[in-house]
Amino acid sequence: MDLLIQLTLNGLFNGAHFALLAMGFALIFGTTGVVHFAYGPVYAVGAYAIWALAVLVGLPFWAAVLLGVALTAALGVGCYLFIYRPFEISGSPPFVVLVASLGLFIVMKNLIGIVFGTGVKTVDSVAYDVHFVGNAFFTTVQLGQVAAALLVGCGIALFLRASRYGKAIRAMADNREMATVIGIDTTRLSILVFALGSAVSAVAGSLVLLRDGLNPNMGFGAVFVAFVAVIVGGVGSLRGAVIAAFLLAFVQSLGMWQIPTEWQNTIVFVVLFGFLLARPSGIVRRA
Amino acid sequence: MEYLAHILVMVCLYGILATSFNLLIGFGGIFALAHATFYASGAYAAGILATKLGIGFPLTLLAGTVVTAAIGLLVAFPAMRVGSHYLVVITLALQAITIDVLMNSKPLTGGPDGIPGIPPVSLFGTALTSPVSFLPLAAVMAALCCAVAWRLGASPFGRSLRAMRENEAAAQAVGKNLVRMKLVVFAMSAGLASVAGTLVAHYIAFVNPESFTIEETILILAMVILGGMGNLWGSLAGAAILVLLPEGLKFVHVPGDIADMVRQVIYGVVLIVILRLRPEGLFPETVFRTSTGAARSSVPANGPPTGALERASGTPGEVVVSATSLSKHFGGIQAVKDLTIDLKRGEIVGLIGPNGAGKTTAFNLLSGFLRPTGGTILYRGRDVTKLKPHEVVAAGLARSFQDLKLFTKLTVVENILVSLPAQPGDRPLDVYFRPGLVRRADRENVARALEIASFVGLLAKADETAANLSYAEEKLLVIARLLATGADVLLLDEPLSGLDTVTVERICGVIRDLARANKAVCIIEHNLEVIRGVCDEIVFIDEGRVLTKGPPDTLMRDRELAERYFG
Repeated sequence: MDLLIQLTLNGLFNGAHFALLAMGFALIFGTTGVVHFAYGPVYAVGAYAIWALAVLVGLPFWAAVLLGVALTAALGVGCYLFIYRPFEISGSPPFVVLVASLGLFIVMKNLIGIVFGTGVKTVDSVAYDVHFVGNAFFTTVQLGQVAAALLVGCGIALFLRASRYGKAIRAMADNREMATVIGIDTTRLSILVFALGSAVSAVAGSLVLLRDGLNPNMGFGAVFVAFVAVIVGGVGSLRGAVIAAFLLAFVQSLGMWQIPTEWQNTIVFVVLFGFLLARPSGIVRRA
Repeated sequence: MEYLAHILVMVCLYGILATSFNLLIGFGGIFALAHATFYASGAYAAGILATKLGIGFPLTLLAGTVVTAAIGLLVAFPAMRVGSHYLVVITLALQAITIDVLMNSKPLTGGPDGIPGIPPVSLFGTALTSPVSFLPLAAVMAALCCAVAWRLGASPFGRSLRAMRENEAAAQAVGKNLVRMKLVVFAMSAGLASVAGTLVAHYIAFVNPESFTIEETILILAMVILGGMGNLWGSLAGAAILVLLPEGLKFVHVPGDIADMVRQVIYGVVLIVILRLRPEGLFPETVFRTSTGAARSSVPANGPPTGALERASGTPGEVVVSATSLSKHFGGIQAVKDLTIDLKRGEIVGLIGPNGAGKTTAFNLLSGFLRPTGGTILYRGRDVTKLKPHEVVAAGLARSFQDLKLFTKLTVVENILVSLPAQPGDRPLDVYFRPGLVRRADRENVARALEIASFVGLLAKADETAANLSYAEEKLLVIARLLATGADVLLLDEPLSGLDTVTVERICGVIRDLARANKAVCIIEHNLEVIRGVCDEIVFIDEGRVLTKGPPDTLMRDRELAERYFG
């Protein structure tokens, strides 16, 4: 019973983490259509930047996070402006952009390894509490993940619904050509969603830094989970992506009840397989 | 010397991997990014069989190929259901599962430690342990694999693959069985990749999961893209360049522990730069185009029209297609309801009605692209309601698309060639085992395709890619492709829209010729002048139902119709 409670809690906290990643990716992919594989390493670079600012530079953690989030947003925008946009301008087919993003993924991932080394990076200066539910436990950092997911989720939802930019983003996600026709500046919006999406990923990165520490390979799992959540949730639906993120986390976590840990990833992928084959349009279908 | 031989062995192995991957993505246009899985399967099959069961080289190769081809067939299934991004995600997931399986099935795969001590290949009593002794074997195997891939790519089947890559719906509409084609290309591509795996296992004498990660798939992808998608020679060049490049870097001083990462960064940068500068790769696919050479001179510039048209058998006026009470709804929307229509030999039926009336949906139902919710379609008394599009074409009913759906990167003559029915070269077994038959048939088919091109007036453009045609020429090519299917019921979706009067006249002439050749023709058209000029009967559809039908002159005097449509 304790195990079940622990696994459910893990599912919840991991779900919050996945949801953050998925929301950032959904903003970028849903709006611009760019399969931004480098989202993973961008998130990793963000987390490493926060680590460097906190540990090497010695900034207070909150300041490191703020600065790191801003840097990550800038890096995301850089990916768009210097890598993806030239392809868009020359009218390249989507697969070319996709392969370019894979190239960018490899470059950034390995650059992290070269610059920071392959060892695990952690922050010791931030103290946090451990809370118990029976014999199951969780930490303040994990609570922070849930809070961050809630705040970011509500913030993005509000932004998309109420602000002028948000409405324009929704229009562009729905039909890019029409959006251009009615005078929406799609380049500016692309920059905006790349900035926002990358910033969201850095928020997730800051909390993972406290929870697990960093390694250069962390980007792959992140972009993968985000991508899977967006597709299982239904492309174009932020709500779907969040639901799918939690679903994935719970499947992964509760699967461990019966199935050995090392098969965790396989469980998720098998769910993805089944899901895509059975319902290719995702949980939340677009009208 | 040993060092040089080692590099050449690696070029051979990656040459096999890149050419086999090119079959899948360059020819088939199938973005299944799990090639390292097939590579791993060959390597582990060899490792497990050799160390656990003591089975030696040629047998490990055979077993590996068979097992991997079977895995390829499994991966083909998701590729049938989903395309583009979804397929990329699914196959990347598969790639990750592969690593999980290799890492965690310790008793079989040795987990992270892999399988050491795989015995080397023994040929003629000598064990091939050194790179120099292994190189001849690697070279021969690479040459063999490339020959197998080349044969498939350059065959009519390869042409059909490229057509499928350009447009899946159109490939179905000219009678291609996409399911079969995808299964074949997956099995071939996987089987060939496994050969490289088996070789590497015996060569290095050791396999572990690290050699078969996603980075490996991306590296092979980079080779294919660098060389040029759809050009198998290019893949060899791409493999050579990306194997040699990091070797060259060894002369630059890089600390050992980051050398591998530096190499990866270089791959990534090279990949992006090539995509920017030469998205088609170093070698474009032109060499795989069908040459019309000698056949061309024997075709008269404006051949007698009947030469391109086989007269359909049967008596004029006989009902060939009889659709009864067809209905189709999408969710709550009734696109077609209770549609009944007969098509007769030698007659041209015009399907008219306002936008959204259900005309194109009717075509989709008749041609098998949509399964009707109710009603039946009989073709010469045979129930074809539930047939797949390519089966409908084989039965004798073909359709064109309003948005043309040409095979853009294929030449005009290839567009027509692909559409010709029952080609021996479309059967992979015949491609390999009856080359004479395939060659003869293809020579005849090229001649026939040129005749058809000449008939519609596109002979001068026969070797141009479809992308280089004017709009009018594109429309003519659509007709040519439809003709080539040899079907005797032809459905043309807006063949005349947006054309100048000269081309309209020419196409109208062709349509009349079709009817004269005893074919049943049905066209969707908005231009009433044209309708009056060519059609024997008009069927007026609105809101998914047949409102009225009759000869053009009678119908055009109808007052209700005038109000609803012409008003």
